[in-house]
Amino acid sequence: MSGETGTGEEVAPETTTAASVHGGRPEPGTGHVVGTIVRRELRTVARTPTFFILGAALTAVLLGVAWLGGGLRSGYVPTAVDLLTPLELLVPIVAVAFGYRAVLADQQRGELDVLRTYPVAPWQIVAGVYVGRAVGLAVAVLAPLAVVGGAVAVVDHDTAIIYATHTGADSPLLYARMVVLTVLFALVVLAVAVAISAVASATRSALALAVVALVVLLVGADLALVYGLSVGILGDGSLIHALALSPLSAYRGLVLETAVIVAAGTGPRTAAPLSSLLGLALWWLASLSVATYAVKRA
Amino acid sequence: MSTTPLLEASNVNRSYGDVDVLEGVSLTVDAGEVVALIGPNGAGKSTLIRVLAGIEPPTAGSVDYGGPETARPVGYLPQQPAFRPGFTARETLAYYGSLVGDDEGVAREGLARVGLEAAADRPVEALSGGMTRLLGIAQATVGDPPVVVLDEPGSGLDPGMSVHVFEVAAELADEGRGVLLSSHDLELVERNADRVVVIDRGRIVEAGPPEEITERRSAPSLLDAFELAVAGEAGTVELVEGSP
Repeated sequence: MSGETGTGEEVAPETTTAASVHGGRPEPGTGHVVGTIVRRELRTVARTPTFFILGAALTAVLLGVAWLGGGLRSGYVPTAVDLLTPLELLVPIVAVAFGYRAVLADQQRGELDVLRTYPVAPWQIVAGVYVGRAVGLAVAVLAPLAVVGGAVAVVDHDTAIIYATHTGADSPLLYARMVVLTVLFALVVLAVAVAISAVASATRSALALAVVALVVLLVGADLALVYGLSVGILGDGSLIHALALSPLSAYRGLVLETAVIVAAGTGPRTAAPLSSLLGLALWWLASLSVATYAVKRA
Repeated sequence: MSTTPLLEASNVNRSYGDVDVLEGVSLTVDAGEVVALIGPNGAGKSTLIRVLAGIEPPTAGSVDYGGPETARPVGYLPQQPAFRPGFTARETLAYYGSLVGDDEGVAREGLARVGLEAAADRPVEALSGGMTRLLGIAQATVGDPPVVVLDEPGSGLDPGMSVHVFEVAAELADEGRGVLLSSHDLELVERNADRVVVIDRGRIVEAGPPEEITERRSAPSLLDAFELAVAGEAGTVELVEGSP
């Protein structure tokens, strides 16, 4: 075989190999590589019925809550208040569903091993997977909230049934703030889920880790803050800053501070917006860093 | 003439905890040749291939790539190739191609090379085991890598398909690539490989062109030479020292 190829007499002496026929191909740019992975993730999301079902279920639940709670007839801010607690519970679940197997499935199929022979860095894999899933998740969260917002716009408003003090300040802009913050919260939880998917070695352990993460995010961090307050580790003055340590508390505080309290024009401070945004950013960055490290070590 | 190997492993060791899977392995892969890696189950073939492909670092020793600068120096087919479901064979290959800057036309060429054009639009989960392996081989050649390492490319294939896989490997070598593959089909190896490396218990126990090995071992076939070269009984799994 070798005698039949360019390694033999057909190649000039002193050349290393006939491999000069191959190679010499420049590596594509970072944007191209990440974009390729993002497109694949987007196609995966678009072709996975589960994600559509999740979006539809979220729409139905939020519409139902807003209708039954009376928010739909009262305005945007009352609707935001009605939706806040369900969103605190449901958004993390949807986000985890979008991300908990995102990296793990590729690892289990051996595709991560294959990617090591391509000019693709671990951070590019994580970035591509995350951005692709994030777009899908943002749509899955935005669409239901847009539907509810649209319903508020078309439903005739009753006059001051529940939140009378809000009626004068009710605005779709405040509702939009809540929507934006909800998407941000979802993207932070997605980062945690992607980290779980990169760290876990099996679907079962990914599920277990996801449950643990949900419990910590939804209950544990808040309980820790309450405990800290009760034993005096946290003072009253520092509480609104300490809330930033918990993604859920940070999200809740931001919504209350920027979309609800501001409408009432009065009330206690519920969050330190900058601290809360910083807390969410740190959770996001730390999670994606863990994911990148795990992919590198896999 | 050819002085610099495309790929050179020098005194490679690879351990997992106390288990030494590879010990002092040295080999080269030159352009235009098919090197076959054979050995009993558990001998360390897949580990050596993963080290050569750069997927795992050697615990000691080195693996040096001596070919031209390129986006993807070494192409790799895993022992059990699998692809993300929900995508066609063409989309899958186009995805990998895009990672090295290829357009979709190159993906079609890759499928044609392995004889998978007819299944280009079939979802990967609907491909047979043999077709999946062929798609894996096409993936291994994405980016025009000067070296291609294939971990048991003929495993689980019918005889005709196995022959086809070795023909593809020979074509890759004819194009000037260096091809290293592992296989248990010693008849096909004897017929197609330029050089054979026999590995047993993590060490190379024999190496050279098939005819030289059989001559050296005074064996009528590569299979007989293989049985003489390896320490274990046929039909048993030999584990390297320290294995749990």
